[in-house]
Amino acid sequence: MGPVSLVCSLYSVFARHRVVLVGGVTVLLLVSALLFQRVRLDENIAAMLPGGQSEAARDFALLQEAPFARRMVISLRAASPGVEAATLLAAADRLAAALQPPWFSRVVAGAGDVFGGAALPRLLDALPNLLSESDLPALAAGLTPTAVRTRLREGRERLLTPEGTAIKGLLRRDPLDQHGLALSKLRSLALIPGLTVHDRHFVSGDGTSVLVIAETPVAITDYRGARDLLDRLAVAASAAVPQGITTTILSGHGYTLANAEAIRGDLALVIGLSSALILAIYVVFLRSWWAAFVFLVPASVLLIASGGVALLYPTVFAVTIGFGGVLLGMADEYAMHVFFALRKGGAPPPQILEAITRPVFSGGLATVTAFGVMLFSALPGQRQLAVFSIIGIVASVLLSLVVLPHLVPAGSAQGRRSAAPVPDHGRLPSRLVLAVWLGMLALSGWGATYLQFNGDLRTMSFVSREIEAADREIRRAWGNLRSRAMVFADGRDLATALRVNDEVYARLAGSVPVAELVSLAPILPSPETQAENRRRWTAFWEAGRGRMTRTLLREAGDTLGFSPDAFAPFFDRLSRQPADWGPEDLRALGLGDLVDSLIIRGPQGWRVLTLVPDTPAVAALFPRGPADAPVHFVSPSRFRESVSRALGREFVLYIVCTFALVLALVVGVFREVRKVLLALVPVVTGLLFMLGGMGFLGMEFNLFNIVATVLIIGLSVDYGIFMVCHLSGGGEHAADRSVLVSGLTTLAGFGALVAGRHPAMHSIGLTVLLGFGAAIPAALLVIPALYRRACGPVSCIPRWTSCPGSRP
Amino acid sequence: MRRAWRLAWCVLPLLFAAAVGSGVAPELEPVLQRLQKAAEEIQTLAGSFVQEKRLAMLKEPLVSRGRLYYARPDRLRWEVTEPVARGFALTGRTGRRWHQRGGSPETFHLDRNPAMQAVAEQLFAWVRFDLVRLRLQYRITVLGEHPVALRLEPVPQAESGILRRLDVAFSGDGTHVECVEFTERDGDVTRITFTEMVLNAPLSADLF
Repeated sequence: MGPVSLVCSLYSVFARHRVVLVGGVTVLLLVSALLFQRVRLDENIAAMLPGGQSEAARDFALLQEAPFARRMVISLRAASPGVEAATLLAAADRLAAALQPPWFSRVVAGAGDVFGGAALPRLLDALPNLLSESDLPALAAGLTPTAVRTRLREGRERLLTPEGTAIKGLLRRDPLDQHGLALSKLRSLALIPGLTVHDRHFVSGDGTSVLVIAETPVAITDYRGARDLLDRLAVAASAAVPQGITTTILSGHGYTLANAEAIRGDLALVIGLSSALILAIYVVFLRSWWAAFVFLVPASVLLIASGGVALLYPTVFAVTIGFGGVLLGMADEYAMHVFFALRKGGAPPPQILEAITRPVFSGGLATVTAFGVMLFSALPGQRQLAVFSIIGIVASVLLSLVVLPHLVPAGSAQGRRSAAPVPDHGRLPSRLVLAVWLGMLALSGWGATYLQFNGDLRTMSFVSREIEAADREIRRAWGNLRSRAMVFADGRDLATALRVNDEVYARLAGSVPVAELVSLAPILPSPETQAENRRRWTAFWEAGRGRMTRTLLREAGDTLGFSPDAFAPFFDRLSRQPADWGPEDLRALGLGDLVDSLIIRGPQGWRVLTLVPDTPAVAALFPRGPADAPVHFVSPSRFRESVSRALGREFVLYIVCTFALVLALVVGVFREVRKVLLALVPVVTGLLFMLGGMGFLGMEFNLFNIVATVLIIGLSVDYGIFMVCHLSGGGEHAADRSVLVSGLTTLAGFGALVAGRHPAMHSIGLTVLLGFGAAIPAALLVIPALYRRACGPVSCIPRWTSCPGSRP
Repeated sequence: MRRAWRLAWCVLPLLFAAAVGSGVAPELEPVLQRLQKAAEEIQTLAGSFVQEKRLAMLKEPLVSRGRLYYARPDRLRWEVTEPVARGFALTGRTGRRWHQRGGSPETFHLDRNPAMQAVAEQLFAWVRFDLVRLRLQYRITVLGEHPVALRLEPVPQAESGILRRLDVAFSGDGTHVECVEFTERDGDVTRITFTEMVLNAPLSADLF
């Protein structure tokens, strides 16, 4: 049984049992609503990124390991000059104390006992482990007679100062200032570029700001959690921070909240605006209370598609509901087509249904095909969106063909007037239409060459003025915390990961200034490297330098009045071989937070992180390797590149596959080259105009525009099929009016999206507006013009013969 | 000879006070309140000092001389003139320090220099006789009342430091410190004797 006879049969059955039909639809809607109630929404943007083992997915996961990606950065700034440092630090302490579980799992308001009294002796003891081959010349340079005399004289003079009492012990252990070499190993630990430590607090270089870092169990993607968390933080800050001190908060939660609220605000605006516009279009074109049933079709479809997705997926991406809802809200064309055909009347409903089922079914099938290609997407969000859309389109076609004919009575005189085709005499001359069309195509083709792909997630996120200001303030006070590139050194155990990290550092050391690196390698070399350093250290002192240094210190010390055993602790240190130096030693120095930020233990093993500038020169040092390579380089710019590349591939795949499938379908429907080409006119025009328009407007093609492309292909081909069927059928079923009205409602819907503040909403709206803005006139004007040139006047085509499935 | 007199001048009051202290212990609070009240009268202070360090790591005591200036509330200058010229001057939380071989003075900020902050806090605590701060750090006993001599020992929380005790002798009118002796845990001793102290005289702003 074909679709036409099935629809006709169902019409006959339900004509006798309309209660069953209405009841069934009502139950379906109720079940869908119930299913949707249970749905768990995921607002993670990663849903729109390539999933699985793709390069972009791997990079995105690695970017989340960045030290500040998951932490809340809170900066308190003395806004007036009268605020003393002590007041600022006390405010930071009060705020940190107020941030308690369950909302905050850990809060760091300072550096703990960083470089307490025992720090330098510890570092000095570890020198044999830490000094590499490149440090030995500097060490040797401090052992000349002049250098030794200078050091001792300076040391003696420092004893005269008020702080001399405190440095006396250090002078005995380190008369030659070797701790300078040890301290130089810490230069590569500037995780926060503008940070200094004062009174155990993180203070900005200009002394005006103090930093508090908070960890929270609330996921960055949890909108409601983020809202409550930021509310708690605001309350705590207002209680803990006095006037004259400003609080700046930067965290992923802020972005989530801003985006979610922008989308919610946009949806309210878009739905309100588009509803008003669509209602106005209905009033102008449909002029019938029965049109309310047409309006109900997309609303029902939204509910059914949401319920269907909720049934199939444990978690539904918010983007699926958000954008899918908007897309399907516009998909009223099948209902519109059926409505106009019925209202025009001129034949019994079964006969009308018989005439319009094939174009409606074919159009629906074409749209399903277009979205079907998205089922093979590498992007999990797009796959889910495809399922959502397919369910929605199937539901829309079924509701339009099976339910709507029982709700909308067939043709009255008024109905015939409202469903009258667009008058033929009002049409523009074919030559003019075709000339303008070809000119537009050529211009669009040229504009499309300027189009760029952009995989930068930030361009798709809404960033409020408050977040921009917070970002600027954090950068001003603390430098660039979030946009550095990262190199991951992996190993099955920590020793292996540290060894790989040593290799990474060696690769970087020659190309990147040490001050721009954040690496553990200098202060925490691998056990293997430490053993090598110790061996070299021993050889250094055994090669006569130990004896020579003893002599030099004795002689210079004697001259300057030092007692013979003044530097016994120094020689005691030289004679000892320290044990391996590990993360726990760094923790003892007060660097535990830094260790936890740069050493990550995962299920697969250990991972040591190095932060580097995100520049092409650094990226060139780390060519892309296989997923199981021990070194991974990831940077915001490389991530953008990989997403852009994946995006480009996906786009080509969509265009080729969707077009091929739609072409096959249209060929299957018409089986005539001219009609096939005519049916594809809106698709080609819409796509080309969209790409050309974006190129001319300087817009970049982003992840959301792929969905727009599919939508344009899917809906535009419907218009093509309807129009060709309509022209072939002698304009019998008012297709041009339905194309015009459904096209206008679609334009109204997406036109409203353009008013959205959220970049993704705005972008998808603008691109679809460009595409449909061209596809609809192409369907209404270009297809008839071409048809007239190919076949002569429309009226010459015999009725019911040209559209497949129509009765001769 | 001059040095020996100075030493005696500093040590004798302490010895005397210790001898008196071996009898009936004077009451602490009235003594401290008197010192604090006297210190409150001081707007400026200028004088010389001699510092003598007797350290195990040195064969001979290390003697230096210099000048101290203070202006209420937060200006201080500590200047070593012999055997090398070096020192620092502080206004509020910013300061500069110099060295005879170091070229132009180097500026610093106490918020970013913990060592200098510790030094400044100690010096300010003594010139202002900041009892609150001193009590937080030390257990105070009175060795003598006329002139006042105090012994300060680190409280248990601060015992991990290098200081064993601090003996302080005040001027007869209790307005300023005349001699301080730091005894470290390893037995090293630093004694600073203040002389020619001038109170509440105008001081040039250039000093700081």
